[in-house]
Amino acid sequence: MILLAVDTSSIGSEVWMAVVTCFAAIFTQNILLSYFLGMCSFISVSREVKTAVGLGAAVVFVMTATTVLNWMAYWWVLVPLNLEFYKYILFIIIIAAFVQLIEMMIDRYSPALYQSLGIFLPLITVNCAILGAVLWMVIREYSLIVTVGFGFGSGVGWMMAIVAMAGIRQRIDESKIPAGLRGPGITLIIAGIMALAFVGFTGVLQ
Amino acid sequence: MKESRYFAVVYMFVLTAICSTLLIGLARLTEAKVKSNEQIAFERAALAVFPSVQVQSDAEVHAVFTKDFAAPKVSGDAYEYRPQGQLAGYALPFAGQGFWAPIRGVIGIGTDFKTITGIWFYEQAETPGLGARIVEPFFYEQFAGKQFDEGLRPIRIRAPAEATERDIQAITGATQTCVRLEKLLNDAVTQWRQKKEAAQP
Amino acid sequence: MNGQTTTKTTNQIILDGLWRDNPIFRQILGICSTLAVTNNVTNTAVMCISLSLVTALSCATVSALKEWTPKTVRMMVQVLIIAFYVIIVDILLRAYWPDMSRSLGPYVGLIITNCIVMGRCEAFAQSNRPWPSFLDGLFSGLGYSVILLVIAAIREVMGMGTLAGYPLPYFSTQWDKWVIMVMPPGAFFVLACLLWVCRSIGIKGKKA
Repeated sequence: MILLAVDTSSIGSEVWMAVVTCFAAIFTQNILLSYFLGMCSFISVSREVKTAVGLGAAVVFVMTATTVLNWMAYWWVLVPLNLEFYKYILFIIIIAAFVQLIEMMIDRYSPALYQSLGIFLPLITVNCAILGAVLWMVIREYSLIVTVGFGFGSGVGWMMAIVAMAGIRQRIDESKIPAGLRGPGITLIIAGIMALAFVGFTGVLQ
Repeated sequence: MKESRYFAVVYMFVLTAICSTLLIGLARLTEAKVKSNEQIAFERAALAVFPSVQVQSDAEVHAVFTKDFAAPKVSGDAYEYRPQGQLAGYALPFAGQGFWAPIRGVIGIGTDFKTITGIWFYEQAETPGLGARIVEPFFYEQFAGKQFDEGLRPIRIRAPAEATERDIQAITGATQTCVRLEKLLNDAVTQWRQKKEAAQP
Repeated sequence: MNGQTTTKTTNQIILDGLWRDNPIFRQILGICSTLAVTNNVTNTAVMCISLSLVTALSCATVSALKEWTPKTVRMMVQVLIIAFYVIIVDILLRAYWPDMSRSLGPYVGLIITNCIVMGRCEAFAQSNRPWPSFLDGLFSGLGYSVILLVIAAIREVMGMGTLAGYPLPYFSTQWDKWVIMVMPPGAFFVLACLLWVCRSIGIKGKKA
């Protein structure tokens, strides 16, 4: 069932659905706090708020663009050819190629931006959140407009989580933590409390 | 030779070709099984909406389905349930966008075109613990015995506080899922009823 | 030219921070994306077996091909091989256990980006023979499986009162089920506590 932009509903209701999905992806179904995706960079890079914001912004951009590109690749190429199982390989290729392209473009046109942002791009390629968002988009059979909302929302949600985590960790660095919990332990507990806080948003949409 | 650029390209190409061939082969081999899984899920749903039918294994489901259900002559129409040759009801498949992902199921309609015999969802991916509870008996058993309203809203799913005898009580905390479910059910039923009325003399 | 070198060094530092200098982090990271399915034991068991088999077979294949693989495409070949085995698992699950395939959702595919698989391929398989690589991959996977199964057991017993679907005598009747264990935050807390216990034992051991 390919839900193109002009299915049974009008474009207006598709856009509304995109907004709702975006909101949900940020709060109630946060890709990191509810689906555990993108933990790798989350735990290791979230020490400073500045780096966290940089990485987060890069992820928002890459996620929105790659979910749309992969939507097109899946529904316009793989499904008509009956090659759905191929999606893992194709998605990874598209994500890696896109990130490589962006890195080259940033390096060529804005060395300053490259210094601050470009170093994160190789990290993003193996970020499970990107591939995860794309796979969710396929499983839930979103239409193109809704995919834009979903990709953007997932990226923003991830960015919010990582920036909040960086802020908290900067504060905690000065407190006393039991030896067994230092490092990953306390990070996980912070993540758990954040996830709990976000669960409180569940009622907002439903 | 290993260091030449051409070798790298050829190597990747050959490796990808071998992997792809193996995967396509495996996919084709299992295609029949996957399709039959989906078919069995649908047939089980069609049987489940008529409460008098009790089957367990996949083989039984398939046997009973092929015996008692007549496929629709026009696509999008309902399956006719004819145990022992007598028309006892219609099994109307429905599909549409739920809150998160597509919801697919079958709704059973009596021969009077107005009574619901039952409903069964064979595919959904709503919020676990909230929208996903549409597959629990306390929700879907409400449908059995209800009658369609006239007009464009044959089925009404309302909040428990406002629901009347004729309405289905929604799941608390699953408003969006219920809203979309009501919409997709009504779309399927009204379309089918319009086709039926057009076909009747 | 100078800017280029500095960037590469920073790059290297970040990557080092991810992999080499932080062994504890590396171990946790591999577990993280699988935490999502740990709210019951059956799903976790299936995920763990898939992960272990994929790791073992990928490592063995990478090792078998390492003489032939040109350096420039080494990473791509690795990803391709891992993806190959993951797709096989996905196809088999979808055909022979569709309910499980639907419950696991995208997490089977995410094994491809899992740090454990790539980590073992990079660290061991690139410099060893196929059979030892296979064993290394298998046992690394099984090692993490133990941790994940413990987490899943705690979450399922406290959150739903069952173990692998079977209701337990005390837990399914009188125990007031902890809903938080079924939700994502529960996984974070259980893992953190487990980590705390393990590391405290480790630290005490070192002191003694």
